[in-house]
Amino acid sequence: MDNAQRVAQRRRKIFAWIGVIVVLVAFGAWFGWYKFFREEPQPDWVFASPDMRFKYGSIGAENDAGVPYWIFYVMPRMFPEKLPGSGGLASLGAAWEQGQELPVGFTKKTIGFPRVANNCAVCHTVSYRTKANENPTFVTAGPGHTNVEGYFRYVIDCAKDPRFNADNLMREINLVTDLSFVDRMIYRFLLIPITKKRLLEREQQFKWIYRPDFPDWGRGRDDAMNLTKYFMIKVPMDDTFGPTDMPSIWNLGKYHPEKGQTLNWAGDSHDPRSVVIDSALGLLGAAPHNKDDFLGQVQWLLDYLGSKPPPKFPFPVDEKKATQGKAVFDQICAACHASEKTGTRLPLSAVNTDRGRLDSWNKQAAIEANKVVTAMGIERKGLVEETLGGYNAVYLDGIWLRAPYLHNGSVPTLRDMLKPAADRPKVFWRGYDLYDPVDVGFVSQGPEAQRIGTRLDVTTKSGSNEGHEFGIDLSTKEKDALLEYLKTL
Amino acid sequence: MARHRNGSSDFETSRPARRWLRVLLALLIAPTVLLLIFALYLMQRFGGDEPVVYADAEEHFKYGSTGGEHESGFPYWIFQVMPKVCAEHLPGPGYQSVGMIFEEGKDLPVGMSMRRYQGIDRTFLNCAVCHTSTVRDTPQSKPKLYTAMPANTFNIMAFQRFFFACGKDPKFSKEYVIPEVRALLKQRGEDLDLIDRYVVYPVALWLMRERLLMLAGRFAWTDKQHDWGPGRVDTFNAAKVLFNFPLDKLPEHEQNAASDFPSIWYQGPRKGMQLHWDGNNTLVEERNKSAAFGTGTTPPTLDVAAIARIENWLVTKEAPKYPYAIDQDKAQRGAPLYKEYCAACHGAGARDFSGEYVGKVTPIEEIRTDRHRLDSYSLDLAVNQSTLYAGYPWRFTHFRKTFGYANMPLDGVWLRAPYLHNGSVPTLRDLLEPASKRPAIFYRGYDVYDSAKVGFVTDVAEEGGRKYFKYDVKVPGNGNAGHEGKRFGTDLSADDKEALVEYLKTF
Repeated sequence: MDNAQRVAQRRRKIFAWIGVIVVLVAFGAWFGWYKFFREEPQPDWVFASPDMRFKYGSIGAENDAGVPYWIFYVMPRMFPEKLPGSGGLASLGAAWEQGQELPVGFTKKTIGFPRVANNCAVCHTVSYRTKANENPTFVTAGPGHTNVEGYFRYVIDCAKDPRFNADNLMREINLVTDLSFVDRMIYRFLLIPITKKRLLEREQQFKWIYRPDFPDWGRGRDDAMNLTKYFMIKVPMDDTFGPTDMPSIWNLGKYHPEKGQTLNWAGDSHDPRSVVIDSALGLLGAAPHNKDDFLGQVQWLLDYLGSKPPPKFPFPVDEKKATQGKAVFDQICAACHASEKTGTRLPLSAVNTDRGRLDSWNKQAAIEANKVVTAMGIERKGLVEETLGGYNAVYLDGIWLRAPYLHNGSVPTLRDMLKPAADRPKVFWRGYDLYDPVDVGFVSQGPEAQRIGTRLDVTTKSGSNEGHEFGIDLSTKEKDALLEYLKTL
Repeated sequence: MARHRNGSSDFETSRPARRWLRVLLALLIAPTVLLLIFALYLMQRFGGDEPVVYADAEEHFKYGSTGGEHESGFPYWIFQVMPKVCAEHLPGPGYQSVGMIFEEGKDLPVGMSMRRYQGIDRTFLNCAVCHTSTVRDTPQSKPKLYTAMPANTFNIMAFQRFFFACGKDPKFSKEYVIPEVRALLKQRGEDLDLIDRYVVYPVALWLMRERLLMLAGRFAWTDKQHDWGPGRVDTFNAAKVLFNFPLDKLPEHEQNAASDFPSIWYQGPRKGMQLHWDGNNTLVEERNKSAAFGTGTTPPTLDVAAIARIENWLVTKEAPKYPYAIDQDKAQRGAPLYKEYCAACHGAGARDFSGEYVGKVTPIEEIRTDRHRLDSYSLDLAVNQSTLYAGYPWRFTHFRKTFGYANMPLDGVWLRAPYLHNGSVPTLRDLLEPASKRPAIFYRGYDVYDSAKVGFVTDVAEEGGRKYFKYDVKVPGNGNAGHEGKRFGTDLSADDKEALVEYLKTF
């Protein structure tokens, strides 16, 4: 009896202890989940319109590529010398709407703690101004003017700096916000060291953007296929360099993959869905955290971009002249840019533009990249597993806002496109968003273009402005008419 | 005693053990108690966060804290001895020499507040330093103080230069500063205690020096700017310092943008107007919090209640009445001229701010005044300002790049001389002349009033050893052109101009 009571008592004690431990573990688990993994939906204003969602909506990149918000916030203040100019992130030429906390294409989402990552809009939102004394107009799905390479370098350079440590970052963070004690400890002992480590891990893969023998991408360009090579399939660095203009991605519904049309400058990809998936995976930097959610985001993007119309030319157009120009267009341009050939690859010898971009990709890379995506359990038509011998003849919708021209953005205006290569500008500045309705393109010379833009010298690697010498023999009157017509596309 | 009463068989064996236990306990408890007492003392001495508070709203405006002392405060006694230790870095004796105002019986100038924080009295600027000034009827008169008017005499550039220079001076060290502090305290029959003398003040000095050197670096760009002179500040280039923009890379056209301190009274009817000279913000509260950065606050240290108190006081505080004689007949003749020429942009009357263009931006091509201030406010700055107060419900969302200057209501315009955003036209009468006939050189910072021309007397270069600032309209940023031509009243007859000026005295 006495013994049985004692046993029962002991048992109760054991159960009590187990209970305490279970509660503690449960609290610990909840705390860990709450502080590091709890997902909070973005605020309602982000979803106020499809354009807003495209500009500021998360596509899930915060999971693996997200930078803790307060580190992101104080970095430009602590390391301004690592940015290209005076103006914080704005000096990278990111599209940044007044009143918004972050530039377009930068998303803020709480997954345990607020994080910042990117979405498609970071490269695919363009700004233009019709006069100098005017705030910019932003067009989503247009070719962005952001200095992407500058941003990559900035992030790595910050992480490499010995001043990037918990003491200094916490000092700056405490100047701008009032974190709780627990959050300060989390930042100090976990987020700051982990962020530094994660950013530095990418240094090796980004080695080629520091090569002194390669020119800068400059604003509005990226070395897209090398990004895929070094990040998705992680091949060793080679000597190729294929900078290309950010493409417009509006009106994706115009593509007909079933008729053999392909996408990307060299027709590298089978269909819009594959392009969106591959580009989005680049932003995620890893396999999607939640595949269904990811594919849902992709579908939303395809729907949004599929029917997004190209923007109208914001200056008056001389309709009569444009009609005359249509005749010139039909005679000179339509065979490639408004025909069965549009959206298909032409042999390089037919156009003779710079081949750097072609050389930066190959069949084996396409095979490997397709394997990586398939391994993630994502079905798509994918990249074209062939050796590609030329560039695609592109659609010309909204061509007025897609300057500079050619795949490597080496010709500033449409008027320059109608000149022989020898007469096209040899040096000009990209990224200044004041529009030139006469030559059809952005202002690319002069003190302001030089101050704000980045210099492109067409004699540097993969920057040649040669080729596509079509319509160069037209009379000035015919060229004017053609340009007028192109404004209407 | 207890021991004896406890006497038992194991008494002999347990006694040494117990004694040891007691000794051990005493050894543990005594230091713990001492530590506790010491900790309590430290908490009492270095904890605490107490601003000096004022019951009266106007006193609070003049001497109350915005919260800036937390992060930016100068140790009070060090601030008080600096003019002596670093006398050669001031234009004259004391802070009066940079145009600060000392009221009778006050140890701090108008516009500086005090707060005890982390065991040391600290002082720093508040709103009044740039928005309060004095007026004298004649050189012999006693100065009369007007709160919320532009700080016409305060030279903020000289003020900051003094601190940066003193911070770099070898004399800014404990050998020089602490004896001066003790000497000053001794006059009041006080002294620094040992902790202050050997720990608190040496550490405070070291921290203050570090901070001054950091700020001197961030403000180094001002050395390459033309002198602002009293009553002016380069507001939005200073705002770029907050983001640590590398200002050595600042493009030429954004530089030299000194502009007049504005009056800040009667904010209620100004709500919704385009505020600041270029109209870059339409939210009074945001504009105020933005200005509060200049008083040393940071988002976590801003004293929200204290700012709200000032905000509320300014909502209804009206501009002071013109204290001199007004020729009523003449003023009556001026009224219709005002209505015809000025009212649409500057408001129907002294307190009636209705009018089609009031509080809106007039494009630079039309107003044609000096464009430096406009150009200093860049789109890059505007978007960066949207990050300020991130994480707070009042994150800035209203800053916008504009392309002209905003039309201001004219209440209390008599106290707002010199005129135009850069203070380039000394009097109202001069403003009614075309630029070519406006004074090309005049002196600023003097507080004797000129009731004939409506403005301050501007031909005094020096008085009682104090030099005034020579303003040259040819210096970049100082241009006095614009706001001229028929629609601006510069073609009126001399008689009409006199009448219009007389009418404006009633505002």
